[in-house]
Amino acid sequence: MIKADHHLDAKGLACPMPVVKTKKAINDLEEGVILEVQATDKGSKADLTAWASSVGHQYLGTVEEGDVLYHYIRKGSDEPKVEKAFERIISFEELESRDGLILDVREGAEYAFGHIGGAKSIPLGELESRMKELDKDEEIYVVCRTGNRSDLAAQLLADNGFTKVYNVLPGMNGWNGKITKEF
Amino acid sequence: MMSEKVAIIAANGGLFDAYKVFNIATAAAASEKEVQIFFTFEGLNLIHKQGMHHLEMPAGKEHFAEGFEKANTPTIPELVEMAQELGVKFIACQMTMDVMGLTKEDFVNGIEVGGAVTFIEFAKNAAPTLTF
Repeated sequence: MIKADHHLDAKGLACPMPVVKTKKAINDLEEGVILEVQATDKGSKADLTAWASSVGHQYLGTVEEGDVLYHYIRKGSDEPKVEKAFERIISFEELESRDGLILDVREGAEYAFGHIGGAKSIPLGELESRMKELDKDEEIYVVCRTGNRSDLAAQLLADNGFTKVYNVLPGMNGWNGKITKEF
Repeated sequence: MMSEKVAIIAANGGLFDAYKVFNIATAAAASEKEVQIFFTFEGLNLIHKQGMHHLEMPAGKEHFAEGFEKANTPTIPELVEMAQELGVKFIACQMTMDVMGLTKEDFVNGIEVGGAVTFIEFAKNAAPTLTF
């Protein structure tokens, strides 16, 4: 099951209600959180995909279970506007020939709909509490969607004594390799 | 750059016309477009306080009533309320109202009354402009 911060029940509703309800629900949410929209309207997948890209949210994907479509949307596609501060950066090309752990710090739902095979998922918000799952002796390559959240994660790791940390740039939206899905 | 305005002309007064108008209008408003609908001639039915509850299907298409129910489509009064809640602006055509002897009080609350120029002014840089 994919983790979402909020759930919206739009089951049984016909067009345009799933989109209208989604718009209303997302207004009250904070940037970056994941909304799950449950719908039975078969057109809702195409509609929500188009709607999200038109108003600036990130449509992650849809899972079908029986008659119900579970859509996942991340509010706002703009990443936090920070000056990237972490200096040790690496590209996907350079990464190919190296050993170590790829750490994916996007939200669980983003990871579920497409990540690099073998990457470990720890969302940025959980990194502090789950840091003990990581090995200080191992090289860690931190990746997110655009390189901003991974920049913050890399700084956090460095502040906590991890010395072999790299921020992977540009991030998953620049990744052309194989994608693993997992739900 | 796509326009952020959608202009709709509602000139017909049947149930199918109403769904076309309000589905597109609410979908556009939910997509953060600025939406205005100009209701003229039979189109005024769609926002008439009593009329909007009794919109008719085209002759010979009455059997679709079951389909509407099965698809669980919102009712027209529900869509009208939803559209207004989302900020869709309704403009009733003054000239048609005069011809038909209607006043602002015959229509749902929150409408504006205007002439064609009011709408044209809005529609001049709207894309798309749709007519139903």
